[in-house]
Amino acid sequence: MKKYMTTILVLLVTILLVACQSSKPSNEFTIATWAAGTELAEFNEIVNEVNEAADGKYVIKTLSIPSDYYIKLSTQIAGRKAPEFFWLTQELIAKYADLGAIADITEYLSSGENLTQDDYYDGVIKSASLNNKYYGLPWIANPFIVYYNKTMFDALGVSAPTATDDWTWSEFIDISRQLAGKTYRDKSVYATVIEGNPNIETFIWSGGGDILAADGKTVILDSDATKQGVRNLVTLFRENLIPRYNTISYARNVYFERQEVAMYMGGIQDDFERKIALMDEADQFELGYAPIPADPNGQSNPFDWTASTVMSSSVKDKDLAYEALEALTLAFFTWKIAPPIKGTVDDILIIAPEKAAALDTIQHALNHARSANYTEVWTEVSDLYLWRGLYLPILQNPEVDYIDLIDKAASGMRSKIGD
Amino acid sequence: MRNKHKAGLYFVLPWVIGFLIFTIVPMIAAVFIGFTDWSIVGSNTKWVGFDNYIEIFNAEQFWHSLWITFRFAIISIPLVVFTSFTISVMLSKNIRAVGIYRIIYYMPAIVSGVAVSIVFRWILDPNNGLINLVLSYVGIDGPNWLFDPEWVLPSYLIMSLWGAGGGILTYLSALKDVPISLYESAEIDGANSFHKTRYITLPLMTPIIFYNLIIGIISAFRKFTDAYVLGGAGGEGEFYMVYLYQQAFTHYKMGYATALAWILFLIIMFFTVIVNISRKYWVHTG
Repeated sequence: MKKYMTTILVLLVTILLVACQSSKPSNEFTIATWAAGTELAEFNEIVNEVNEAADGKYVIKTLSIPSDYYIKLSTQIAGRKAPEFFWLTQELIAKYADLGAIADITEYLSSGENLTQDDYYDGVIKSASLNNKYYGLPWIANPFIVYYNKTMFDALGVSAPTATDDWTWSEFIDISRQLAGKTYRDKSVYATVIEGNPNIETFIWSGGGDILAADGKTVILDSDATKQGVRNLVTLFRENLIPRYNTISYARNVYFERQEVAMYMGGIQDDFERKIALMDEADQFELGYAPIPADPNGQSNPFDWTASTVMSSSVKDKDLAYEALEALTLAFFTWKIAPPIKGTVDDILIIAPEKAAALDTIQHALNHARSANYTEVWTEVSDLYLWRGLYLPILQNPEVDYIDLIDKAASGMRSKIGD
Repeated sequence: MRNKHKAGLYFVLPWVIGFLIFTIVPMIAAVFIGFTDWSIVGSNTKWVGFDNYIEIFNAEQFWHSLWITFRFAIISIPLVVFTSFTISVMLSKNIRAVGIYRIIYYMPAIVSGVAVSIVFRWILDPNNGLINLVLSYVGIDGPNWLFDPEWVLPSYLIMSLWGAGGGILTYLSALKDVPISLYESAEIDGANSFHKTRYITLPLMTPIIFYNLIIGIISAFRKFTDAYVLGGAGGEGEFYMVYLYQQAFTHYKMGYATALAWILFLIIMFFTVIVNISRKYWVHTG
């Protein structure tokens, strides 16, 4: 009996040890993606094409994590089973870089033959960097623009903004005043709707202010310019130009699609064109596009959501891995809008022909696209001070002393960041 | 005989190994992790002593989430206990098709929490939801439920009643054990239904109420699934466990989150001990 039990135990331990050993060839790389369904099929098609072009030099495999992406990813990293490549959104690059989870690819990118940092829109590539080092290759950019209901504007006799001329936030508020409270299609309409989106950065930048300086460490949130920008947000609420936060009962885009608001600040990827085409003819309306209004310095600051593909710091053969990463990234540029590299805006006509009318505005947005100046503790700082300390109190009570909120948030941020 | 003992040990060995690896070792590790700044994705973990605990007690968010959870617990626990008990008493009567009613009331308890949350997302929808539709029939303009910070807690309290079926099972089995002779004696003495429930059923059910109270405290403080799925306007749906989860997996502060878990353990332990001490004053064990 004892012999049998001992044999079984030894066998179990052996199986466990064998199972734990990695038998992966050194030229095989895995990329983790949040893509699922049709998107995953398209993704795999791209990966297959890249593998075919590599002709056996390297092989890229897909790891789809459609739900709880970051949780599963972080668990894999903790378990030393990190995929060689994975997608990260911009606000996490600094965190992962600081923690040593992703590789510094500055040398490779700077000396790249097919892709360098200069090929990217400035604001986009900046979102993949920390302390002047690059940690990822952005493969998509999705900056904000203003969608507006041209049919409603015309019916209410309000002058619409143009596709590329920089209108100011004062003009935006003036137009909002002309629209809000008017009756359109038997309903009282609002200028736009804000419930935490667009993010607070959009309003902070609207006055020419910022959260952190370019070094990602100096807090400049309590500048007069920031306060002027946040006043734009507060004005929209206080003058009832937009619905109150506690009365918003469905998704922001639905207000626009139901023609209850005249304007919508959203990413260039938002597919209103398709949705409008599917509506009953009586409900259809003409879409207009305009840039995010400019700050007092004449600068439009469209917030840009960007995703990058990063390389795990645990990768052994970084030269080969970067070659694969670059090839994959170049292939991604033909997949979705918008490719984050300069001179490719016309490709949007092939990738998403329904966006043809928006092309000029998209180009304008990409030229000015930017993200925040991120720090390694950004997610925490953003949650604690920008959302809970500033945005949420304004949403819940627009009469709040927002200057005091900004000062307190800045003070909290300084102690958190150690500025 | 000795060999037989050994063979028995071998048979329980897989469970013992599993318990050690998946329960005891993580618990011991968690004590240490709570004193570090482990971030899950990083490799440079440092010992920070009581810094995590100090940071927690200075964090406004911690008190906010604890307050939300406490308010929920203080209302939902008696509410669920009362509802479960009342329904159980009704279902213990010999009424026609009682089995079907029992199945109907117990069924929600076996449905996945995520599925329940998604159903409630629709039920509580301010525009197309069932509750506001019913309210509109009686001329009431329903609230914004989860979209209005002031109505987030009431929304979760309504949802908590969904779980009342879980308690019904234990109450029903206990109700079956109440000797009929006691009711018959009471009837002879002129007791009505209320008297019988108040002076016979309720006292004899106190051990089960006690059990459900303990379970209720634990589950109320550990509330997560529906709060994670549904959230709530103005951060009012940020229960303690959601806060803990965010710290661990959004901010990658695993050490901090582990410290939060230990604090939660102590909070639950505190209330459990209090209820246990009070037991001698109201639980009939004779």
